[in-house]
Amino acid sequence: MEFKKHVQVRKEKFGMVIFETLKEKVFVTNSTGADIVERLKEKKTPDTIITELALEYITEPSAIVDDVNCFIEKLIQHEVLTK
Amino acid sequence: MEPTKNFNTTPGMAGESFDDFKAPLFLAWQINSVCNLGCLHCCEDSGHHIPGEMTRDEIFNFLHQVREMNIPYVAISGGEPLLHPNFFEVVEFIRESGISLKVETNGEFIDDKVVDRFVDFDFRSVQISLDGATASTHEVLRLKGDYKKSYTAVKNLVKKGVTTEIVFVPTKFNIHEVGEAIDMAYDLGCYGFYTGKIMRIGRAALNWDKLNPMEEQYKTFFKTLDEKTKQYENKMKVYYYPYDVIEELKYRLEKPSASLLIVPNGNTKLIGPLPFICGNVKEQPLAKVWDRYKKAWHEPKVIEFTKRVIKDPSLLAESNKWQNVF
Repeated sequence: MEFKKHVQVRKEKFGMVIFETLKEKVFVTNSTGADIVERLKEKKTPDTIITELALEYITEPSAIVDDVNCFIEKLIQHEVLTK
Repeated sequence: MEPTKNFNTTPGMAGESFDDFKAPLFLAWQINSVCNLGCLHCCEDSGHHIPGEMTRDEIFNFLHQVREMNIPYVAISGGEPLLHPNFFEVVEFIRESGISLKVETNGEFIDDKVVDRFVDFDFRSVQISLDGATASTHEVLRLKGDYKKSYTAVKNLVKKGVTTEIVFVPTKFNIHEVGEAIDMAYDLGCYGFYTGKIMRIGRAALNWDKLNPMEEQYKTFFKTLDEKTKQYENKMKVYYYPYDVIEELKYRLEKPSASLLIVPNGNTKLIGPLPFICGNVKEQPLAKVWDRYKKAWHEPKVIEFTKRVIKDPSLLAESNKWQNVF
């Protein structure tokens, strides 16, 4: 899974800004979304991301799996991330 | 944990609110004012050097800050940017920094060697001005322009896989050819075709009566654009901005963009159609210029003047008579 060629990301106080520069579209996420985006940038798999975030947020992986997958699916739908 | 809670999309460069961003998302940088052409519809009145243009050292000092601030996207224009003596080292620095880069050019200096260099730079895109589907139409607007050179540049860039876009500015002289120009862009293999109403600024403001299309012409123009957008859906991006500069100002007054417009002497404008300067990247750190930009949009004199321009568009002719906000 990787971000498309012309996609740029930057941390912000509110979380993360994702800029698809070819289509000139801007997306913003909150800090939780930013945690996922950072890990996707590091080419981590959804399973790894879920495991890491469950530790970080002190919760069970099962409690966050749907949210993480849904978020990743949105990135794919918005054509900033490819499988 | 709800990562999607605030996930949303916003059109254009606006983001959540420009105040929320720690740095600009986009820099529109006019690297020079020199141009080999004298286009009647130039929005900058380009052609000659202007006093105080940034030196090589000043340019690289500025670029290091662009990189440090993690600004994701830069567009270089002019004048004609390829006439700038440091053009290639500038674009090399920007690309090596991982910043997306668009180059806006008349295309007349893009020969085979330049095409090969552009391939290596892997630009976000090269945007070439072609104001007609025929040489006679293009050249009547672009004084001293050579249609064949620009056309060939597009063709050769596309052939080598460079993402290439065509920009078309409608005037009384060429508006009738927009459909053919879009077809031509598609036949050439362009990524996109960009157009929108001519802006009443720069040299275009001086030639306004000669250039500005009639309302009837615009109706046909936008109808053609609608048709072509559908025709080329999922094949080529046909992008047109349906608003004129006044509508743009009304929108920006409410929602300024997270971008800076830097002119060749380092002055940083709030937006092209307004005369206001919020800082100078030669004299102030870029971070400070960004802060000043954010504050400037809240300044009563900016708001009042913008409202006056909205009521009286002839004031747009003052857009290049720079005024400091602070």
